[in-house]
Amino acid sequence: MEDPVLVIPEGWEARAPEGWEWQTLWEAVENGDHGYADSRVQQAIEAGIDPRVILDDGLFPGFDLQADRFSAQVIFIPEMLITARAMKAGLALIRPLLAAQAEKPIGTFVMGTVLGDMHDIGQSIVTIMLENAGFNVINLGTDVHPDKFIETAMAEKADLVGFSALLSTTVYYQKVTIDEFEKAGHRDKVHILIGGAPTSPEWAEECGADGWGRDAVQAVRKALELVKKDDRVAWA
Amino acid sequence: MAESFSVTFVDPSGESAPRRTTVGDGKTYLDAAHAAGIAMEATCGARGRCRSCRIKIVSGEMPPPSIQDTVQLGHDQVRENFRLACQTKVIADSEAMALPPRSESGHQILGAGASATDAPGFEIASGVEKHLLNAKAPASEHNQTADWEEILATLPDTIDHGLTLDVMRKIPRALRDKGGTLTATTFNGRVIDLEAGDSTEHLYGMAFDIGTTSIVGSLIDLTSGECLANVGGVNPQAVYGGDLMSRIAYAQFDEKKLATLRARALNALNDFIKEACTETGISPDHIYKMVVVGNTCMHHVLLGIDVSYVGLAPYAPTVNEAIVVTSSELPLKAAPNAQVCLLPIVAGFVGADTMACVLATRIYESEEMRALVDIGTNGEVVMGRKGRLMACSAPAGPALEGAQVRHGMRGAVGAIEKVEIGDDVSCSIIGDAPAIGICGSGLIDACAKMVQSGIMETSGRFLRKGREALPEALQRRFADTADGIEFSLVEREKSGKDEAITITQSDVRQIQLAKSAIFSGIAMLQKVMGVSDAELEELMMCGGFGNYINVESAVKIRLVPNLPTEKITYAGNAALMGAQIALLSEPERERASVLARSIEHVGLATHPDFQDLFVEGMSFLKSGTAADDQPAPAKRRRSGGRRAAAGGD
Repeated sequence: MEDPVLVIPEGWEARAPEGWEWQTLWEAVENGDHGYADSRVQQAIEAGIDPRVILDDGLFPGFDLQADRFSAQVIFIPEMLITARAMKAGLALIRPLLAAQAEKPIGTFVMGTVLGDMHDIGQSIVTIMLENAGFNVINLGTDVHPDKFIETAMAEKADLVGFSALLSTTVYYQKVTIDEFEKAGHRDKVHILIGGAPTSPEWAEECGADGWGRDAVQAVRKALELVKKDDRVAWA
Repeated sequence: MAESFSVTFVDPSGESAPRRTTVGDGKTYLDAAHAAGIAMEATCGARGRCRSCRIKIVSGEMPPPSIQDTVQLGHDQVRENFRLACQTKVIADSEAMALPPRSESGHQILGAGASATDAPGFEIASGVEKHLLNAKAPASEHNQTADWEEILATLPDTIDHGLTLDVMRKIPRALRDKGGTLTATTFNGRVIDLEAGDSTEHLYGMAFDIGTTSIVGSLIDLTSGECLANVGGVNPQAVYGGDLMSRIAYAQFDEKKLATLRARALNALNDFIKEACTETGISPDHIYKMVVVGNTCMHHVLLGIDVSYVGLAPYAPTVNEAIVVTSSELPLKAAPNAQVCLLPIVAGFVGADTMACVLATRIYESEEMRALVDIGTNGEVVMGRKGRLMACSAPAGPALEGAQVRHGMRGAVGAIEKVEIGDDVSCSIIGDAPAIGICGSGLIDACAKMVQSGIMETSGRFLRKGREALPEALQRRFADTADGIEFSLVEREKSGKDEAITITQSDVRQIQLAKSAIFSGIAMLQKVMGVSDAELEELMMCGGFGNYINVESAVKIRLVPNLPTEKITYAGNAALMGAQIALLSEPERERASVLARSIEHVGLATHPDFQDLFVEGMSFLKSGTAADDQPAPAKRRRSGGRRAAAGGD
């Protein structure tokens, strides 16, 4: 079984100034060195490198490597989380610049952990990956009431809503939240994804969800698949 | 199309007769097993996430495997007709074998050990008293007295005149059957029983600890304080989920299911009472007081209180005060008015069992900082000293009890409980039988020794490169499968079940999650209270499981903080001991009520620092071996476009 390897972005030299190197930043993200990530991204911005390039060429190679390793069970939650922390440090500097470029997002994704559940261990990872995949992500945090999901989806004209549950006692609320969307008459306006350790594809079907994500990588893949489908009713 | 099928369960050992049942369309083999009266376990709550309900289908149309079958059992086993009973629907008349054999004989359950009355200065004051009386039946019509007045005249003035209906009904015969000699039993000054004759020698009580996994109890002579019998067994609620949350989820928002769970607990208690009485020749009617402890979920389910909201944030109990009900209210098989006392709950999942541990260890009297840890499916931690105690509950899950681990099992015959690794692996097995699995203490030992010998990195990752540096015998034990790396502790030829006993990468991750919950619970309290490792005078491990844990290994895997081993002690089944103390002493039971309200509860789920501690606590202790010094493997680089998650791969 092959270990995932770092994928070097093709042609990165052409997009960076003479003598520039990304190697150290790739390793910093991989190892969770958020201090270095912060200062290097700052340097890159000052060197006039395009923020999108900093993101794709500088930050994501290390992150993707870890995500692949996580999916392959080579690394575990702690390693993934420290990588996510380093990513966030870099993203924090880049995000305002990207917003300024007003790139149209591929879709709007509202996410959160269901009512009664305080866990968000996987969310930071999924949020980063969704944002990178081009989504505008509104993360509502934990212990989110079904009404809040609905209100936010309505206000943001969401394309997708995703909720995770990390306890066997709170998965019930995934079904409840979907039922509430139904009752409010908005079920057909969004695609709904669920995930979390106690969930399964069968549960997703039972709830009436449109998809299930085994892990962050799968969740994002499913989200991209669903957002391209043409079967939703538009928000008013 | 409502068809029904017959399912016959065959005992692989041939010891018991086959059991047959009929199930309707859409039912699973797990449903069939329960219908046939087989106590098949569904540790993960029948979600296809463990192997406890594994069966082999020996005849009849073979159901196609589900994804969970393949994930949990592997392709080879699936091909050999093994399935997960909870995921497999019955599609034809068939025969199946439940594996492993469900006999729980040889199951090691720990009793209380030292007696409650061993503590210096302990005075028996159970609150239950017997009074031998000589009363006469009413004699004259003029200035008439009632039966009860005649009896009261012979009792001390302090006795309350109130009576429950069932005791009232016993008066006529009690007063007359033995010519006016009768025995009155009182509890805290109220008459709870009347019997003709002299039964003053028969004054008994029971203490129970209802754990998530095991129930243990003691029959105690309330006069002498002597423990007359110890009983115990697996908690039969386990078929509905191996951990608390699964069990709550089962009964959530469903009255009937709550009643089912409750019935299981009550039946178990009644069976144990009967067993204890039969063993000692005592009549259950002479059991007048019981103290029952358990965590919040067990406590509420026993009383039939809806636990649905206990499973949702903020995980608050319905009632946290001490509760006393009569045995006929539950019902339990003792004197109808026997006082069944449940100790108070602290908060959240820090329940009556933790209170009992506090009573037993007397941590509230300590001048120095101490901590007690109740290691089990839930890990409760109490830390502090005289005047300030704090507590938290860390949901470890059942991995440390063997669940969700490929070859995990409870501490029974055939379980690996100790592991030594030098040039090769050698295991100690409970009962000296061929190994059929590995129990919690074995898992802890195995992880410690694997890190120590360089087989595993402190991050929990099995060694990938550089195995040539290891002794040959160890190198041969690695297997790189499609599902990840495995390490075998016992080869197929030597095992008791025709397959190697291995630990998988995924097993290690489950153990890391479980032990980090406990480790970070302790670390959290240390942080909140500002107590360094050096300032902790003693860490007391409690719980039936704790007895078998190798303390050094527990430190090495970072299940407990890195304290000198002399400072880590084993306090036995402190919960049961605390229940016994409260049984024999009303002042102690009262103390529990006062203490419960003074212990500060720290909620881990909502604490902003907990997640960091939890993540940090997953790794094992550095051991100074080559594995720790491994340089990052030389990365092979590949040029190419960045693979966006968009796919196209």
